Amino acid sequence: MPTPDALSATLSALADPTGRAILARLAEGEATVNELAQPFAISLPAVSRHLKVLEGAGLISRGREAQWRPCRLEADALRDVDDWLGRYRRFWSGSFDKMDAYIAELKRKEKRR
Amino acid sequence: MITDLADDELLITRTFDAPAALLFQLWSRPEHMKRWMGPASFTCPAAEIDFRPGGAYRGMIQSAEHGENWFGGVYREIVPDRKIVFTFAWDNDGPSAGHQMLVTITFEERHGRTVQTFHQKSFLTIQSRDGHVSGWTSAFDKLAAYAATLAEEQ
Repeated sequence: MPTPDALSATLSALADPTGRAILARLAEGEATVNELAQPFAISLPAVSRHLKVLEGAGLISRGREAQWRPCRLEADALRDVDDWLGRYRRFWSGSFDKMDAYIAELKRKEKRR
Repeated sequence: MITDLADDELLITRTFDAPAALLFQLWSRPEHMKRWMGPASFTCPAAEIDFRPGGAYRGMIQSAEHGENWFGGVYREIVPDRKIVFTFAWDNDGPSAGHQMLVTITFEERHGRTVQTFHQKSFLTIQSRDGHVSGWTSAFDKLAAYAATLAEEQ
């Protein structure tokens, strides 16, 4: 289970549209900083800053070699977000099941009047 | 209409056999909310609602297994029988602690039945997109003051 801080870092990183776009590209496979910068109208240093945020959030990892440092998607952090969202989904869906039953109860009372 | 859901968004659409006016009441009146809030194994013994834009709400669901779970937020927008927008956060220290969510509920009545659309978005996303940080902060200050008042009354 992620700590609140880890989840916050992941959600913050996901909140950025460029960060999201980079993740979408990495979902197709590994890429270098140069390859990642191509579709965006931003500089290499700017892309590097985005990568640092994504790496800090555990969403990506980077190769060791200094020149060729391919970035790859790390599924665990995204899975944590998914689990977290799943708990909300169960909470609200379960509540709406009860809402349905409560409406039926209110209608029965209405009829008896 | 929402077509693209981000990784941190939730959309739940349900049709209820009730007019929109009744659904609106189920969300806005504490005596109703206590009857349905929380999944099957939970009860909702506490609900306080100041139902107006800028007004706060606070409630608690509990179960034998999970104990007491407090939640609360602030109403952002209210359109009678049509729409309610509010923030939502858990008080607990679990992985959802302190995460403000923004919830938008809309009601669309058709022939006595109502389609309820529930949309939840992480507040972090909204904050970074809109930059309305100071406005939100003051709303949360008000919520904290309200919660303190409630605690004193108990």
